[in-house]
Amino acid sequence: MSARALRITLLVLAVIGLGIASYLTYVHYAGIKPACTAGESCTKVQTSIYSKLAGVPVALIGLLGYIGIVGSLLVPQGETTRLATMSFTVVGFGFSAYLTYRELFSIHAICEWCASSAGIMTILMCLSVWRFLRGDDPSLGTGPAHLGQNAGHESSATLPGAY
Amino acid sequence: MSPVESDEEDLTRKQRREQARAERKAMEEAEAAGAARRTRLTQLGVVAAVVVVVVVVILVATGGGSKSAAPKVGSTTANKAAQTVNALVAGIPQKGNVLGSPTAPVTLQYFGDLECPICKDFTLGALPTVIQKWVRPGKLKIEYRSLETATREPETFKLQQIAALAAGNQSKMWNFIELFYHEQGEESSGYVTEKYLQGLAQQVPGLSLASWTTDRNSATFANQVASDAQAANNAGFTGTPSFLLGKTGSTPSKFEFSSLTDASSLNAAMEKLLG
Repeated sequence: MSARALRITLLVLAVIGLGIASYLTYVHYAGIKPACTAGESCTKVQTSIYSKLAGVPVALIGLLGYIGIVGSLLVPQGETTRLATMSFTVVGFGFSAYLTYRELFSIHAICEWCASSAGIMTILMCLSVWRFLRGDDPSLGTGPAHLGQNAGHESSATLPGAY
Repeated sequence: MSPVESDEEDLTRKQRREQARAERKAMEEAEAAGAARRTRLTQLGVVAAVVVVVVVVILVATGGGSKSAAPKVGSTTANKAAQTVNALVAGIPQKGNVLGSPTAPVTLQYFGDLECPICKDFTLGALPTVIQKWVRPGKLKIEYRSLETATREPETFKLQQIAALAAGNQSKMWNFIELFYHEQGEESSGYVTEKYLQGLAQQVPGLSLASWTTDRNSATFANQVASDAQAANNAGFTGTPSFLLGKTGSTPSKFEFSSLTDASSLNAAMEKLLG
């Protein structure tokens, strides 16, 4: 996968996650029930004691996390920004894992919005860790970090040692 | 040595030099790439370790469910809850699981789980307004029915629900369930013990504890729990609180409160039903 395609994939996923977190934050503050196909499960999760961490709604924490991920993907890319994206997603994954544990073993209900976000965060983490470890190998002359004209589709796809 | 041979030798030497340079360069690059990869792996390891530590701290801080938040009988919290509940339901007719006049023209079926925190939010939020505005004047009666959602152990669910229904045998079920919700403990903390149920029963004014204890063994109430579960299943309910609303005696329809703390959606539905 070319650096450009990878970054765009990450960005699209992060924007979807941002949308979900925005909706759940809105639902939390508006005091309305989230749209849910699984009966009252979402409301149950959203209104449980675990829906806040130190008084801050977890939906808002998620929203801030996704803003961080999107932000780190929009600035000019380099080693530091890839480290930032990777760190945000690893933190996000840890947080999602904690929330999923609470849903399964404490609340006994699964909120589909939260599960979708957790799934997206897992993919984001895998991709951004891969992207971070793969790094930017100047010897290959592809400049995978340059998203502009030079990062051609055909070039990096055929590169040896892309990992 | 012919000039041609000398040329060939020169070329070979040049090639060897270039080859050596290329090898050196490749080695340096490989070393640099290896060092960069090691650095990245270390950074990844540090981030992952920090996340693991933080998650464990959060898990410990938010509790593994060992705390029992249920207030003690006779404590200020329990006394305050008892006062609030008595003020809310005192003087309203009760029979079994029903609160309100038997001749009320509209019936609301409330499917709840006594350990469900959202049911607590509803019971302490929108429900008092519903009781004051519609049940007290005799226009609405509310049937409390059970559906297991939040309670982890089916045995506990049955135990607590039968305890409530047994209070209903003395027309005090609503005092019992209101007290349960007011004094609800932390979800999944295992606070519903025999002592807790006895404590609630003691707070219900005028409840004969001896009769209540005997009634808890009645098969009627165990059957009622099963028939409530069946009714919830028939209605397609999977969560609590869930509601059925309709004119008394007619087939009720599903009803949803637009908010757990605001009764306005029910007010509108009631006005329509009473037309």
